Amino acid sequence: MSLDEGIHHRDRCAIVGIGETDYTRNSGRSDLTLATQAALAAMADAGVDPFDVDGIVRCDMDTVHANDLIESIGLPNVTFWCDVGQGGVAAAAMVGQAVGAILSGQATTVLVFRELNGRSGRRYGLSSARSTTIGGGGTYDELYQPYGLLTPGQVFAIMAQRHMIEFGTTPEQLGRIPLACRERANANPRAQMHARTLTMDDYLASRMISTPLRLFDFCLETDGACALVVTSTERARDLRQPPVLIRAVAQATIPSPQPGTMYPVLARPNITELPATAAADVLYRRAGLGPDDIDVAQFYDCFSITVLLQIEDWGFCKKGEGGDFVSSGAIDAGGSLPINTGGGHLSEGYIHGLNHVLEGVRQMRGTSTSQVAAAEACLVTSTPLPPGSALILTKA
Amino acid sequence: MTDLAPLLPVDDDLDTGGFFEAARRGELVIRRCNGCDAVLHVPRMFCRHCRSWDGRWAPVRGAATVYSWTVVTHQVHPAYPVPYTIVLVDLDDLPGTRLVSRMPGTPELTAGLPVEVWFEEIGEVDGRPIVLPQWKLVTSVPA
Repeated sequence: MSLDEGIHHRDRCAIVGIGETDYTRNSGRSDLTLATQAALAAMADAGVDPFDVDGIVRCDMDTVHANDLIESIGLPNVTFWCDVGQGGVAAAAMVGQAVGAILSGQATTVLVFRELNGRSGRRYGLSSARSTTIGGGGTYDELYQPYGLLTPGQVFAIMAQRHMIEFGTTPEQLGRIPLACRERANANPRAQMHARTLTMDDYLASRMISTPLRLFDFCLETDGACALVVTSTERARDLRQPPVLIRAVAQATIPSPQPGTMYPVLARPNITELPATAAADVLYRRAGLGPDDIDVAQFYDCFSITVLLQIEDWGFCKKGEGGDFVSSGAIDAGGSLPINTGGGHLSEGYIHGLNHVLEGVRQMRGTSTSQVAAAEACLVTSTPLPPGSALILTKA
Repeated sequence: MTDLAPLLPVDDDLDTGGFFEAARRGELVIRRCNGCDAVLHVPRMFCRHCRSWDGRWAPVRGAATVYSWTVVTHQVHPAYPVPYTIVLVDLDDLPGTRLVSRMPGTPELTAGLPVEVWFEEIGEVDGRPIVLPQWKLVTSVPA
């Protein structure tokens, strides 16, 4: 018996508003301005006013705090706020915290946001090492960074190389993922790569960054913000938009995730699997659904390989068969599992997984620029390296 | 190219310092539990398997095999000019326990290749030499 037996949040809350800023390389705006713009857009989309919002959920890497947004927008009735981490595994769990606050009576209408000047400000893809000594204090960076292992991309490159060793995955197969994302971005005017096409030849000819990963295996760096509004399904029925139900949401860990910030994942027994396997077990159980029920998916895509691993971990094919799955066309428009239909982090923009939730909402509203016909269930994952989170959205 | 010194590890962390202390002596050690002998890597004090706080730094042979790698071709830090190769090695004495190493340039690698440890002094902090265990391909075949 699982610990969550008898816990029921299924379909009891809904996402009723979404908003985002433009996605750019240099916003020329403060983080607070970006967060405020996205939040106002989400509230307007939902048709809620500042008096209605009584909860705020932020990511632990947001520089904007709850009180900053309360002050900026003028939200006089906030009685609940919290932070969710770590970074890229937060987005779906942020929605989960909103659900928890609502169902426990701590809030009725919760604003969830993520903002970053990810290109013009702090760039996550660069080495964060600033001093001559590194690590300690539980980071475990001292065991890795002095060797020149300095970025998330290099960690995922080592995982990708191992996937190639074990399963014979090829660069051409990996390339199908950035290509699919780019094609969806070409249909999405909000996407940073909207106007730029990408062919397999372009992909294979692109600059190698850290073998076997090339430039287009890496996500974008983006200035921008996303926000959404969560409320109870009951209240949602009185609001402006057709409610999109949160079928289920989950955080989950593997038994031995390893400590630290990032690099110790390389000490896990198996580096071709992510904690997504655990999230899949919990989320599917809570939702009463399985991979066959998912019509469209938004996979967290800091790198192409991150998607390939998750496709396997979420049960859309067997471990090791991700390469064949993506090259079969399954992830493309008209395939059995169209992915990242706004373009994802690889081609729409990098808002740390929250833009994936927004795109999931659009799919369930029927308003995506790459709408999947008759889609009734959308998986959204926030399952890169650390124990992660995910949710399933359905039509009301 | 660059003359910049590499990043020096904090070598006196309460949980990981023993690794660097041993490296200074030319010894490779892995944290083990004295209660149940479990490998506690990356290093930590509490054994979640047998709930023991009693552990040791256990010497291991400096023999391993290549598990995976990446050739870094895009430079992100001035002290680490490209190309170089980060190798993840799997210890012969404790299969499944893995350490990283940096190899210069772009060595020809395949999974399972034998590697041996060597100790690189990369700097000094408060008069203490800072030493990293590194790994290189085994080239000499015993006669």
